[in-house]
Amino acid sequence: MNGEPTKTPEPNATPAPASAEPAQPARLAPATVVETPFQRFLSEYCESKIAVVAFFVFLAILFVAVFAPVISPQNPYDLGQIDIMDGRLAPGDTTFDGATTYWLGTDDQGRDMVSAIFYGLRISLAVGALSGVIALMLGAIVGLTAAYFGGKIEAAIMRLVDLQLSFPAILVALMLLAILGKGVDKIIIALVIVQWAYYARTVRASALVEREREYIAAAKALGLSSWRILLRHLLPNVLPPLIVVGTVQIASAIALEATLSFLGIGLPITEPSLGLLIANGFDYMLTGKYWISFFPGIALLVTIVSINLIGDQLRDVLNPRLRR
Amino acid sequence: MKRIVTLAAAAIVFAGASASAQTVKVGLFAEPSAMDPHYHNLGPNNAFSSNVYEALILQDENQKLMPGLAVSWKPINDTTWEFKLRQGVKFHDGSEFNADDVIFTYERAPNVPNSPSSFGTYLKGKSFKKIDDFTVHAITEKPYPLMPVDLSQIVIISNEVGKDVTTSQFNSGEAAIGTGQYKFVEWKPGDTILIERNDNYWGGKPAFEKVEVKPIKSNPSRVAALLAGDVDFIDNVPTADIERLKGDSNIVLSSGISNRVIYLHMDRFRDDSPYITGTNGKNPLNDLRVRKAISKAINREAIVARVMEGVAIPAGQLLPPGFFGTSDKVKPEPYDPEGAKKLLAEAGYPNGFGMTIHGPNDRYINDAKIAQAIGQMLTRVGIDMKVETMPKSVFFSSASSGGPDKTPKYSFILVGWGSGTGEASSALKSLIHTKDSAAGFGASNRGRYSNPEVDKLIEQALATVDDAKREMLLAQATEIAMNDLGIIPLHYQVNTWATRKAAGLKYLPRTDERTQIGSLVKE
Repeated sequence: MNGEPTKTPEPNATPAPASAEPAQPARLAPATVVETPFQRFLSEYCESKIAVVAFFVFLAILFVAVFAPVISPQNPYDLGQIDIMDGRLAPGDTTFDGATTYWLGTDDQGRDMVSAIFYGLRISLAVGALSGVIALMLGAIVGLTAAYFGGKIEAAIMRLVDLQLSFPAILVALMLLAILGKGVDKIIIALVIVQWAYYARTVRASALVEREREYIAAAKALGLSSWRILLRHLLPNVLPPLIVVGTVQIASAIALEATLSFLGIGLPITEPSLGLLIANGFDYMLTGKYWISFFPGIALLVTIVSINLIGDQLRDVLNPRLRR
Repeated sequence: MKRIVTLAAAAIVFAGASASAQTVKVGLFAEPSAMDPHYHNLGPNNAFSSNVYEALILQDENQKLMPGLAVSWKPINDTTWEFKLRQGVKFHDGSEFNADDVIFTYERAPNVPNSPSSFGTYLKGKSFKKIDDFTVHAITEKPYPLMPVDLSQIVIISNEVGKDVTTSQFNSGEAAIGTGQYKFVEWKPGDTILIERNDNYWGGKPAFEKVEVKPIKSNPSRVAALLAGDVDFIDNVPTADIERLKGDSNIVLSSGISNRVIYLHMDRFRDDSPYITGTNGKNPLNDLRVRKAISKAINREAIVARVMEGVAIPAGQLLPPGFFGTSDKVKPEPYDPEGAKKLLAEAGYPNGFGMTIHGPNDRYINDAKIAQAIGQMLTRVGIDMKVETMPKSVFFSSASSGGPDKTPKYSFILVGWGSGTGEASSALKSLIHTKDSAAGFGASNRGRYSNPEVDKLIEQALATVDDAKREMLLAQATEIAMNDLGIIPLHYQVNTWATRKAAGLKYLPRTDERTQIGSLVKE
């Protein structure tokens, strides 16, 4: 019966003394060198040079995505600003009046590839981050509930998670988008539905361990409400694995969005994301007009790799088993 | 020497037996949806059934009528056509072809259960009578000059298959018995269709012993399969690759103009059109000046040059000039953005309005790209455009009847029309005439354009047997409808096929866009 939470007697009416508030269990043993947890985190993170590089690359991508409307030479989503007569120009070509240079060329509709990639990154990151955060919150709540209450609730939730995970993510997303239709909001909904189960499973696994710790028993003995124990005591202690899974999942959400766009569902064609740009260029692959697919592909690759590298290093740093 | 000849002969026999020397492999853009020739009136289906089956009357590469299972036909009075059938033709199962098969076919073809698009359109209002084993009469109420053309669209099946024959019996091959150049062998949907030579064909020995047809939907994959030699022949060569293939000495390209016009259809039946915004509930498309402005704002030359890579022809009417019933007087509208802005201002929309263009993304050559280009061009004269494209399976049902009460759903659509009959009456009847389902008019009039004057001319033409007079009436109807911009024509599609030189093949381009093995010849 090790899955059953221990029953605690009902608290009596006398208010618990403030000092009895359970201490944070993760409190560190006094170290010889005085170091705040954040400083230690930072120095451990910086042990991997490549992770540091990845972090700065990611910062640069984030900057580009946030300030795309300011730094892009053109608004690639404004049909009035692009001209089909400039279509499929090679990198470095100029318009015939010489006024504009397309450093990475143009796509088949005459969109400046630089601007299109900047805006595409914006969509990719926004979709990845938003769907990741929403799925994380949803998954965390569901996973915590399952772990904390156990019994039938847990069984029901976890079988639902198993069911969800047994279908390939791309298949589920394709079906959802076929029903929901096109648009950024729709694609976020689809990605949340595809991803929440990963978070729920991760959170439940760590919460099952934490649930048996003394501080939870103490909190229960004090008569704190279930929600308070869940959110104030359990959640902070399952955060590290959640952050790691979250980072990796955001990268896979970005890849999934690109795949869906490549397949021609997801986003409208006048607002191409990276996946759609790659798909458009695919038609021209055999003709030597490589840049329409190539540069968005590189941008996508760099984004996903840098996020994954950050996620890897976070896992090493935050994993207590690897702690020296 | 003799020995070598014997060896060579043995080698040929052996190669023939192993079915490699004489097998032609075909990479097809669109797979037929069934092997039942009367199930779905759709381009890929009709093209494929013409390999296995034949109609009474055939169409050559330029859609000129030729004797098929009928050797001659003529009207014997105002309402009766007489068809003399070919004697001594055998079906693939060895049974004799005669008038009973014809009558049987014409009874079955319009009544196939669950047909997504019925052949009834060619048989409505006609009755058929067997006079003797090789004479059939076709009877209509009014004079009907298009009888031979209509019947060239219905292929004949054997009455031996029985009255209750189902589409799945055709798909399995059990009932797939025709009189055509090739016999059906096997269909693995999504993978291959296998046909083999009909050695008893009445019109001489067909060119190839075996034909293996592979559907390859993805454009780059189809081209790559041809370049790698996996297939000997592909259709629907993507415009993006034409230039490159031209420079490849292993590849022979053949292209030809089609009877298909790509055009814009506009909502003309609603005051408050669902995909038009910023007009206070008025439908600007009902104003001729707005329609004219849209037509002037479109740079057809640019679409042809940049989107179609030069492989298309700017359009001003329903069929390319030279086809029966076209007019010499209507020309493609020249590009004039300033004129367009002026007309919009005159019509009371100096700041334009908002509009969404809808179109398919897997039906016509470069369809999604054309829709975007139209979006650009109209945005530039002040109409705030949105572009939405979708797979044809979703698009066409919505565009025809996706709105309330089965009305068309969209306000402004990009579509195409191929005149199967090779004359302007086809497009006029289906796209321009006021919708009248009972009489078979306006079947694809998704904008519900209606002009009594044009209707009268079309009906008159369809009942005129005299060719010269009919041609004049059709041209007149075309002129009025085009000046009124019942539709806005964009360009005529040009189709390209490619063969491998090593295989020694050449395709004779067909105006009806069909890819059929009969038009693939050895050089």
